[in-house]
Amino acid sequence: MATEESRKAELEAGFSVSDEEMKKWMSRAFEMAREALQSGEVPVGCLLVHGQEVVGKGRNEVNETKNATRHAEMVALDQLLDWCRRGNLDVRGVCERTVLYVTVEPCVMCAAALRLMNVPLVVFGCSNERFGGCGSVLDLSSAELPDTGTTFRCVPGHRADEAVEMLKTFYKQENPNGE
Amino acid sequence: MEPETKRWKGSKCDDDSWVAFPVLSDEQSADVELVEAFAAPIVNRKATSRLVRELNGVYPLTGLQHVKRVRACRAEDSPHPLEVLLCLLSDVPNPADASIPSLLPAGSWEGLGEPFVVKVPARPPLTRPQFELASRRWPTTFHEDKQVTVALRGELFGPQQRALMHTFMASAVAAARAAAQLGMEAVGAAVVDPETQRVVTVGHDRRGEHPLQHAVMVCIDLVARSQGGGCYRHDRYAACRFAPTDPQPEGGAVPYICSGYDLYVTREPCVMCAMALVHSRIGRVFYGAAAADGALGTRFKIHTQKDLNHRFQVYRGVLKRQCEDLSSRGRKTPEPPLLG
Repeated sequence: MATEESRKAELEAGFSVSDEEMKKWMSRAFEMAREALQSGEVPVGCLLVHGQEVVGKGRNEVNETKNATRHAEMVALDQLLDWCRRGNLDVRGVCERTVLYVTVEPCVMCAAALRLMNVPLVVFGCSNERFGGCGSVLDLSSAELPDTGTTFRCVPGHRADEAVEMLKTFYKQENPNGE
Repeated sequence: MEPETKRWKGSKCDDDSWVAFPVLSDEQSADVELVEAFAAPIVNRKATSRLVRELNGVYPLTGLQHVKRVRACRAEDSPHPLEVLLCLLSDVPNPADASIPSLLPAGSWEGLGEPFVVKVPARPPLTRPQFELASRRWPTTFHEDKQVTVALRGELFGPQQRALMHTFMASAVAAARAAAQLGMEAVGAAVVDPETQRVVTVGHDRRGEHPLQHAVMVCIDLVARSQGGGCYRHDRYAACRFAPTDPQPEGGAVPYICSGYDLYVTREPCVMCAMALVHSRIGRVFYGAAAADGALGTRFKIHTQKDLNHRFQVYRGVLKRQCEDLSSRGRKTPEPPLLG
């Protein structure tokens, strides 16, 4: 039986994403963020990509659900779970070969959720100074937490300025709940 | 010693043996940090106020306002009654030479005896235990937060309050047992409105169905349900329930997510759940058993994190034994010391 270590090494060796792919999916995430901004929502775009398939995408749903945990990443992870259920696929097996592309650094909660789901790679735009869980407030991507899933690799800073600009534009508009 | 049989039955006295201790910030629970300073005996008592004034001019001891400049001598047989702080070791270029001419500029320093090195508290004490430790080193001022002092003694909650807390945690324990019967992790939680002492929701772990549906996440969604929102179905689980929000009186505030509410949870929340509670603006959290990766005291203290926009009080140990029994198959974490 493969140990946790060798399983991880094997996954890392066999699992990589080219720069071209990163660019392509991040530009999709930015389109989503722009659409959100135009409809007056938090401009964060996020995609979960497995192979060449988008298995989850989300936008912030905090206000309509009155549930402050409904960040874009959490919504996208729920879609991934539904996708696995429909295809009768093993969730862990799918997640271990899935990449999250998101325009803003995931918050502490979402970063922990990504660990719990065993997502190995997160590509993001700008950092999230207020809540960021991939180095800004805490670093959950590398923290030693044996009961909280697996660590993940981050590729930060993709079109960061653009992502910041969108957030600034949004926060200049009125936002009653300060999320 | 109680008879064996009585304890086996779990007497009422045994049930009530828990203590709720506050989980304070690292600054509040840290050991007393010390810094080395030079002090000298005051051999001529009449010169005290002049010496203090002049020393304050030369070495104002910036950042050490909590440290008293002069202390009475502790040894009863001491030839001099008072000792005064001169400066920090870091204030002088050559700390190896502890003579008055080396430490102080030319002036009238008669009245001072031979300097010696002492350790003084580097920071103002934040809690009574820190104050007591600090004062053993050198007299220190202390702006006491009485509530913290009482809480650290485990005496913040009176008998009536404890009885209510007991009931709330007992419903979380019952939910945890229901979860275990369904093959989920034995973790349960209850959200309470402390204003009315009303249970808003009870929920339990459901990660067999969804890896992120920890008891706290379930409860947060149940609270959203009670306010007309929510995004998951809960009706398949008899032990996950909520009371719909009462119609608000004219002009009354509609509850906003979890603000002002208390959470009772059998096991210390993980970092995802702890941060979810920050986002949800929870009022206070009470947990029973600590967890190895727990984020409200054991591995992180998310509730005291300075950069975050919401902080809250956390108490551990409510119905500790019952809560620890729930996860007794898992690892038990050592009791965190009060001061560390």
